[in-house]
Amino acid sequence: MSPDREKPGSDASGEQDETMNCGLGIAERNRLHRRLRNLPDTVPPRVVWQRIEAQARAEGLLKRSGRRPFGWLYGAGLAAASLLAALLIPFHGTEDEVFPTVPPYSEQVRHVNLTTLNALMVQSRELEQDLRALPEQPQLVRAGTAATIAGLEDQIAAIDFRLNQESPAMTPEQTELYWRERVRLMNLLVQLRAAQAQRNTF
Amino acid sequence: MSKFTDIELDPAIVRRAAGGDIRAHEIIYRAFSPPVYSICLRFTRVPAHAEDLLQETFMEVIRSISGFRGEAPVGAWIRRIAVSKALMFLRSAWHSRGQSLDDDWDDRPAGRCEESESRPDDTIDLDAALANLPPASRAVVWLHDVEGFTHKEIAALMGKTESFSKSQLSRAYRRLRPMLEAGTAERAQPVGSAATLLGSC
Repeated sequence: MSPDREKPGSDASGEQDETMNCGLGIAERNRLHRRLRNLPDTVPPRVVWQRIEAQARAEGLLKRSGRRPFGWLYGAGLAAASLLAALLIPFHGTEDEVFPTVPPYSEQVRHVNLTTLNALMVQSRELEQDLRALPEQPQLVRAGTAATIAGLEDQIAAIDFRLNQESPAMTPEQTELYWRERVRLMNLLVQLRAAQAQRNTF
Repeated sequence: MSKFTDIELDPAIVRRAAGGDIRAHEIIYRAFSPPVYSICLRFTRVPAHAEDLLQETFMEVIRSISGFRGEAPVGAWIRRIAVSKALMFLRSAWHSRGQSLDDDWDDRPAGRCEESESRPDDTIDLDAALANLPPASRAVVWLHDVEGFTHKEIAALMGKTESFSKSQLSRAYRRLRPMLEAGTAERAQPVGSAATLLGSC
């Protein structure tokens, strides 16, 4: 409250106030103030917070939450490290280890993996479509956002490179992990680009 | 007291929000979005505009909370941002319509408070009466009578003089007065009190 605050309903300005207020007396003014303050607030639609959160994330204003200690930035870093390890480790082993002749998985496990794998591939394809449906990136982009998008795209490209090698060194479990990571990264990319597009329309 | 300053928030939440914690920001939003949205809705009368202003207000909160020193209640700070955004919107709307913020009473027929006659609920009556005021006048009434701003502060916020603020309030009171009389009469005479609504403003 500022120091020169007039107390609503007070008669501080006296006669002049009475004239200025169209003859409203103290009781009437008090009644008006009370009724105005008792007017109920309106709760905004839930979608507004989602828009705010998306915009704040796109602007790089938020950090990982306490409820989700492995936030997406941390997750992306972890994924990049795992990916690097996965790319490098095979070259440190023997040839037999790199190209195992006997798959270590039973048919049952493989069936489950294939089902999961198919679902991940479908999901990945749908995300690609979502991404293509978004408008082009604006010419003026925040440096942080641009770097995050570039980082995600690089990670997806590295995964694609690895998956396209069709190396027998990759077990079905590893393949699934790569696809799962690809879907996760694509999800992040679509969310970020969508928020960027939404922000661009404001 | 304003609803904004009635809301108490743990300072730890503000500190967490200042560090960019999304959950802390969400808590602040949950606490203050109803009064912010309400003030924006009362100023603009258009839900879509009020939603945009709500978003702009909380984006400003997220951007600036690290600089919030806590000298005033966080509610007062958020209210200041919301009011500033809403008034800026009104100014821009008027500007685009080629109208001035000074006065647009002429295009509003007097005596619309009679409409409240058929409404049994005082709250709806008052809301309808407020809605019928010109935007600048409605803003002045709300800022002065509910949020407790002085005419000097309102003048500064609106880029006008204190006289402008006082005159808008006076004219608004004149328009709202019959409804107040009606409220009194209705309480005294629950039936057949409609005539009191037709009193001259």
